[in-house]
Amino acid sequence: MRYSTFNQTNVNPLGEPMFFGNPVNVARYDQQRHSIFEKLIEKQLSFFWRPEEVDVSRDRVDFQAMTDSEKHIFISNLKYQTLLDSVQGRSPNIAFLPIVSLPELETWIETWSFSETIHSRSYTHILRNLFSDPGKIFDDIVINEHICKRATDISKYYDDLILHTQLWQIHGEGEVTVDGVTYDATVRNLKKKLYLTMNSVNALEAVRFYVSFACTFAFAEREMMEGNSKIIRLIARDENLHLTSTQHVINLWQYGDDDPEMKEIAAECRDEALAIFTSAVEQEKEWASYLFENGSMIGLNKEILCQYVEYIANMRMQAIGFEPQYKQNSNPLPWMNKYLVSDNVQVAPQESEISSYLVGQIDSEVSAGDFGDFDL
Amino acid sequence: MSQRFKLQINQLPVVEIDAGSSLTLLEHLEQSGIEARYHCRSGFCGACRSVLHAGNVEYINEPLAYIRPGEILPCVCRVKSDLSLEH
Repeated sequence: MRYSTFNQTNVNPLGEPMFFGNPVNVARYDQQRHSIFEKLIEKQLSFFWRPEEVDVSRDRVDFQAMTDSEKHIFISNLKYQTLLDSVQGRSPNIAFLPIVSLPELETWIETWSFSETIHSRSYTHILRNLFSDPGKIFDDIVINEHICKRATDISKYYDDLILHTQLWQIHGEGEVTVDGVTYDATVRNLKKKLYLTMNSVNALEAVRFYVSFACTFAFAEREMMEGNSKIIRLIARDENLHLTSTQHVINLWQYGDDDPEMKEIAAECRDEALAIFTSAVEQEKEWASYLFENGSMIGLNKEILCQYVEYIANMRMQAIGFEPQYKQNSNPLPWMNKYLVSDNVQVAPQESEISSYLVGQIDSEVSAGDFGDFDL
Repeated sequence: MSQRFKLQINQLPVVEIDAGSSLTLLEHLEQSGIEARYHCRSGFCGACRSVLHAGNVEYINEPLAYIRPGEILPCVCRVKSDLSLEH
């Protein structure tokens, strides 16, 4: 089916499914099938922030005082997060917008992707401050095998959905052969690919960020890299909201509150969706091993980090109807929670406990002795 | 004597709270000494999701996280009766 930027068929948006109905025409929000997405848009907009608002200048001093293994941990995490947000800054738009059918969901996808681009810009903001030439760090993202391996797994479901959608748009419903390869471009198969992609994105938002978040906040617990930690808190708050949106989409499908065919597909692909999640968890644990290969850092090691991944994975799995798969039921890093509370996220130095703000204070104590050598 | 509500959390001994308490259910969970799960504390992340077996709660803010049947979000609700829940 050819995509139209303004579908002139008169459709009732209240009767449309989230995806694979008619393309959206009027961007109207007076009537909504799933009003939750407009509420998410409002929340995301209320979270708006810019990386430049956060002072990261003190981080340079902290960074120079780090051991080599700590530098490796810090920089590797930044590279990985840069990869994740590079993908997320574009992929929901490219993969989901051509097939979305509800105005409120279309706008949510755009708002979501846009917020990821702010995250991408903040990594440059952080790195520019740490290095006079951050070029090498960015260049390594496409060379580093540990990062590339993850990049493949993160982008493959998106890429597959995008390719099949394009074939379906050009050739229509059915099997298509291109360069000797036959593709199944039926709507049923596209919906299946959409379901798997949504689960892959859900796993990304649910667990993939949390190894880096834990390292960042472990530095912050030692009062190091506080500017960076502030930015990551803002990012974590956004990611939690994005996760809520993918959980909504998956649950609406599973409960049959949207497209009945998606309910069937959700049941059919249950094992595959679970495998996507558990494989993301395993990759994050591998990532933890890579981070600590040169030595650990104070307050954190590979074992505790892997336990945290399992703890958070259990929570996230239950949210989309899976049984918790891991035995880690208590939080091994209790201090993480305080960095994830949304009200604690404040930017202006006078409103927070940033240590650099206190450094500028002067000693205001005056005693009589201070005037001892004072002549008029 | 003011009215009290009984909270049965997991399989732990029953905790009593003031019926007019302005604290959220999550705050009561924390006071009861259990390890409470939470992140955002404002209803959008869903980390505190709990299963309500019996009783009523009242939301003070509209929860944005998806609530599966039988679940509640303790961070944005207050207790309105005796409760039995799984956190």
